Amino acid sequence: MAENGPFGAEDYEQVAYTQRLKAAVHHTVGQMCDNISEESGVTFSRQVIAAMSEATMKKCGEFAVDLELFARHGKRTVVNADDVKLVARRNKALERHISLMADSLVSEKEKKKSKKAKKVTAPSNTSDAENDDSNMG
Amino acid sequence: MAENGASFKLSTVEKIVKHHFQDNGKTRMNTDSVKLTTELLRLFVLEMAARSCDQARSEGAETVEVEHLEKILPQLLLDF
Repeated sequence: MAENGPFGAEDYEQVAYTQRLKAAVHHTVGQMCDNISEESGVTFSRQVIAAMSEATMKKCGEFAVDLELFARHGKRTVVNADDVKLVARRNKALERHISLMADSLVSEKEKKKSKKAKKVTAPSNTSDAENDDSNMG
Repeated sequence: MAENGASFKLSTVEKIVKHHFQDNGKTRMNTDSVKLTTELLRLFVLEMAARSCDQARSEGAETVEVEHLEKILPQLLLDF
């Protein structure tokens, strides 16, 4: 219980937590690299995968700091899609992709909402919902 | 968007991002922003892997080594 030395029990817990997050990122990066090497026939060494996950963690930290500052600048405590768009602003293609994805997420949500409203008002009428689907596709 | 292949779990990304927030506990994320951040990270990793793969190939190597990653990393970081 009583930790003698520079690190207390809380510090060890913190380290264990970040290690778990790092392991999760490492796992996913490994999977993505496997997919690419299946397509291209070039294999990735273990060190490269470790370095890539380290870079990804660092980048995620940068994103987090930016997102928090953008939200605070907008006098909000909740990070929203516009903040992520700002993070991606320097790369035009990336910004466009993120904007498109944000729009599709919003329209998806509205579709769900309108479907729910329809179900409440007319539960037997499903033809309208099907028409909506064909319009989207 | 195009969901082919592996991607990060939304809960993992949210935990990492929240871990880096400065004023603890106050700032939150809505679901859309978590999804978009996950997409951003997915593209970052895919781009990193694809570029280092290209670099290794152009040098005639069968395996991607750290030296290949080192060569593409500066431009990648400028692009993200």
